[in-house]
Amino acid sequence: MALRESGRQWLSVFSKPAVRPTSLAPNTNGQRRWATTRSHFKDLESNSSFNTPPASADVIKGYNPIARSAARKGQLPRSGYQYRSPKHYRGPLHPHQPPPKSDPASREFIPGPFTYPRLEQTYHSTIAHDILAMEYVHFPPGQASPDHTQRLRRWEGDSPYFANRSPRMPRGGRRLKLVKRPTTFRTIPKVERVTVHSFVPAAADDSAFLHVAGMAIQAITGVRVESHQSKRSVSQWGLRAGKYVAVTADITGEDMYDFISKTVHMVLPKIKDWKGISVVSGDHSGNVSFGLKPEAVAFYPEIEVNYDMYPAKMIPGCHITIHTSATTDKQARNLLSAIGMPYEGTLKRYT
Amino acid sequence: MPFQPQVSPFSTSATLLARKKERPKKDKRITELRYHLMHPQTPRPLRFGRSRYLRHWTIHRAWQLYRRQQREARERELQRLYHSMRDACEELRHMDELGNRAPLSDATPGVIEDEGGEAETREQVRARPTGKEVGRLYRKAMKKQDVWKGFPIEYARPLTDYPSRDGWNIGWKRP
Repeated sequence: MALRESGRQWLSVFSKPAVRPTSLAPNTNGQRRWATTRSHFKDLESNSSFNTPPASADVIKGYNPIARSAARKGQLPRSGYQYRSPKHYRGPLHPHQPPPKSDPASREFIPGPFTYPRLEQTYHSTIAHDILAMEYVHFPPGQASPDHTQRLRRWEGDSPYFANRSPRMPRGGRRLKLVKRPTTFRTIPKVERVTVHSFVPAAADDSAFLHVAGMAIQAITGVRVESHQSKRSVSQWGLRAGKYVAVTADITGEDMYDFISKTVHMVLPKIKDWKGISVVSGDHSGNVSFGLKPEAVAFYPEIEVNYDMYPAKMIPGCHITIHTSATTDKQARNLLSAIGMPYEGTLKRYT
Repeated sequence: MPFQPQVSPFSTSATLLARKKERPKKDKRITELRYHLMHPQTPRPLRFGRSRYLRHWTIHRAWQLYRRQQREARERELQRLYHSMRDACEELRHMDELGNRAPLSDATPGVIEDEGGEAETREQVRARPTGKEVGRLYRKAMKKQDVWKGFPIEYARPLTDYPSRDGWNIGWKRP
């Protein structure tokens, strides 16, 4: 009974309105209210669940957890740890499926994001609007953007061999490029992920080079690196197939924005006699790459503050690929120049 | 099978020690780096009790909801901007030199190319019933002159600096 009584007292703390006259007069229940309990919720939000109206008297009277648990036929499930996410994915037909990545019980669950990087904030508040205004293309009513659905060339002619022959690639190259997409409010280019790649040929003989490179890339990107074997042997470079010679790190989200900011504002300005990324850099589908020499990698603040941790001759250079959602290089270039990436050289034709 | 006597020693430690002396000394920093690099990769998943899991889940859902609201608000704002640009361009397309809305049929070809070339030839413009001045500003805008040269490098300055107290400086020239 004492338990129930104290529970009710505790509950009544929440049921009172936040602002009450400060008097120590006894309550209607005959219980004394202490001054400390009154100002508890002043700093909380006004529409808090603490301010819900009190439960009605019959609900309070009917609150009897002991009787309720006694009346329960079966037991409640244990309150302790129940579920164990499978360690390995055994295919879609296996009965023990892992939870979705967003579930806190998942092994792949990543909490966050905990910060709103300044670059991301600037992108959402300024850069996206400016790019939209710059790249706006008007289509008068009744006129749609050109249709690119059929891009392979059919075989046309009198030859009987042209019937059912598979269509050819477009003129001017053997690749089918991405369909160019006009920039609308839904398709404003944005940075999707960044890949940092470091090829260390010396690692074929001494794995220390690979380990130092992995640690350095891990330090500057903030994610675990993946190491890669060389695919084939090249005797001129001393490469043998199957040796681990490269590391990559793939970064998205907060880490990505932080990495780009660091690169643009702290590393690139410090490089001596460096004019900028070549304007021709790009893979025709909106991904832009550039390389950094070991001296430039040493400018990253994570390495600079702890420079003595790495053997100086083993600090690697790296290639940085910025994957954007743009479909052409010129859109990607506009985005990166808005972020502050310096470009070097001029193009005759903007592709 | 005939008996074969043991030729090599049972223990390999002596030879290993002897070999170690020959090897060049490794940099201690590399050993240290390797130790930290080989550490286990991921921690075990979070394990919660029932009520703690529910608390966590509620907060998680609320946070996702909040982010979704923010994202949709951003999208709506961009959509609003886009549609007002579309309306403005449509006005410009119909506007004559006096600023009046000229009677122009929508069958008139607009400019599709954004590569810096005029899609309408000069003859076509002259042949129009309402004169060449109609939609001049629109055609000029759609030329997208210098748009693909990118942003000036000074544009990214706000990323590292606070906004100006004096507002936008219209008279700014690149030094």
